[in-house]
Amino acid sequence: MVARAKKNEERLPVPPEKDSVAAAEVSLYRNVLKIKQEHHLADLGISFYDADTTIQWSYNADHYFHAASTMKLAVLLGVFRQVARGELALDAPVHIRNRFTSIVNQEPYMLDLGRDADPDVYGHLGKTLTVRELAYWMITKSSNLATNLLVDVVGIPTIQRGLDELEIDGMKVLRGVEDTRAFEAGLNNEVTANGLLKMLRLIADGKAYSQAVCDEMLEIMLEQQYRSGIPAGLPKAARVAHKTGNISTVHHDAGIVYLEGRKPYVLVILTSFPAEQGRGKAVAEVSRDIFNALAGSVYE
Amino acid sequence: MSSETAEAQGLKVVDAYDLDDELRSILKPGEMIRDGQGRRHRLPRYFYEIPSHEVALVTRLTPHFGLNEFIFSDLKEASRLHGYPRYVPCAIRILAFYLEQFRNAAGASLHIAVNGGYRSPSHKLSLNASPHMWGTAADVYRVGTNILKTREAIEKYNDIAEDLSDEVSVLPYGHVTGKNADDHVHMDLGYITLVPREISEDRMEQPQENRPRFAFEERRRKDRRGPPVEAEET
Repeated sequence: MVARAKKNEERLPVPPEKDSVAAAEVSLYRNVLKIKQEHHLADLGISFYDADTTIQWSYNADHYFHAASTMKLAVLLGVFRQVARGELALDAPVHIRNRFTSIVNQEPYMLDLGRDADPDVYGHLGKTLTVRELAYWMITKSSNLATNLLVDVVGIPTIQRGLDELEIDGMKVLRGVEDTRAFEAGLNNEVTANGLLKMLRLIADGKAYSQAVCDEMLEIMLEQQYRSGIPAGLPKAARVAHKTGNISTVHHDAGIVYLEGRKPYVLVILTSFPAEQGRGKAVAEVSRDIFNALAGSVYE
Repeated sequence: MSSETAEAQGLKVVDAYDLDDELRSILKPGEMIRDGQGRRHRLPRYFYEIPSHEVALVTRLTPHFGLNEFIFSDLKEASRLHGYPRYVPCAIRILAFYLEQFRNAAGASLHIAVNGGYRSPSHKLSLNASPHMWGTAADVYRVGTNILKTREAIEKYNDIAEDLSDEVSVLPYGHVTGKNADDHVHMDLGYITLVPREISEDRMEQPQENRPRFAFEERRRKDRRGPPVEAEET
């Protein structure tokens, strides 16, 4: 029994030769496995692409995770798809109403204000906010209310069509947030590290619909207010356009890292763990290791 | 409830048959439409023309209800109706009159939700005939500081609204869209159309298009206009 467990366990690779890309990759692989073991992660998925060196590296990057709030990047893309097509105006007003329809039985449900205490949006109940304002709060403070309102505006089929048009595999968007009946029926939004990486690369390169649309999306993502993931493993000077995702069993972060004097790199880190364990600092540690590998120096 | 109230404040009454093609396709004046039970109702034809946002803001229909409160909508409304001039059925002032009574009975200010006043037939929430399309329904989401989201609060204000008059109808508390309400009080007066006194209802048919269909129609039109006159230089 013990022997079989050891056989299945991922083995640390042999220490690398110094001063080579291969060496850096092997070192990174060792560190990632170490982090996975130390943090008792059930699953870990990583994908990154460095535009400066063109190095691409991944680990378990096609494994599907519960998307949590990283699905809001797909909603953002869907909104800007409609904007790019002239079918939606960013300054169009949207009625702020806490009433949504479950995809399972079409019954209405409301978001729990206690779990999503974003006064910036809830404070406008009964009034309007613009599409741009909702997109801002959806990404920067991960507002579930803003997300569901935007999902209602553009529709799930449009969001998924946007992903398909850009050939972004590895992102499945079925529903809005807190659709408990759908969750109980196992109908969840799912992502892979490679799927999110593809989307972020298109945005970083200005290839998601247009450069202007990508600039707008980046401007919002750079204002992210939750910084315990990728940014926590980087020097303070780093600017990160990113989106986190957290529920009781997952902690993700997906973003584009801008450092002075070099092209950006795109990084996606997805983690899952037992609910009783709670999220630790695994995402920040992976982020730091990747930064160190790219920088060729140790950042403490 | 003076019939001159809105006009005295600068609002023109228009026969929507005279509006341009796009507006007629949005407002559908005089067209028949079915409600959820399959009954047919004729959409309103006479509208107040609101020339600007400023006019909507300053025009009072009653002491406590401004015209702007009845036309507040989001992107579900036809985009043409987000600009000005905008149009609202003349019956809106009857609704305002009843809401004023409702406010007095409730003893607190009433707040009409976005999309909770007039909705054109082209509004995305206008699936079947609804008094909102006649300007005779209001969704009140807040009374004073009390945001209506519980059965207790909604039933309390439903009772107050229904006690105003037999004409007033409300939606009972519940979760079925179109039949119930669970985050507002829906109050309506049914399918009332208002024909202002100054209107002559001699033209019954809706024009199919603005330009004449036959040459003789154009000749007659010119005859009516008289010979062309040179514009005076100023």
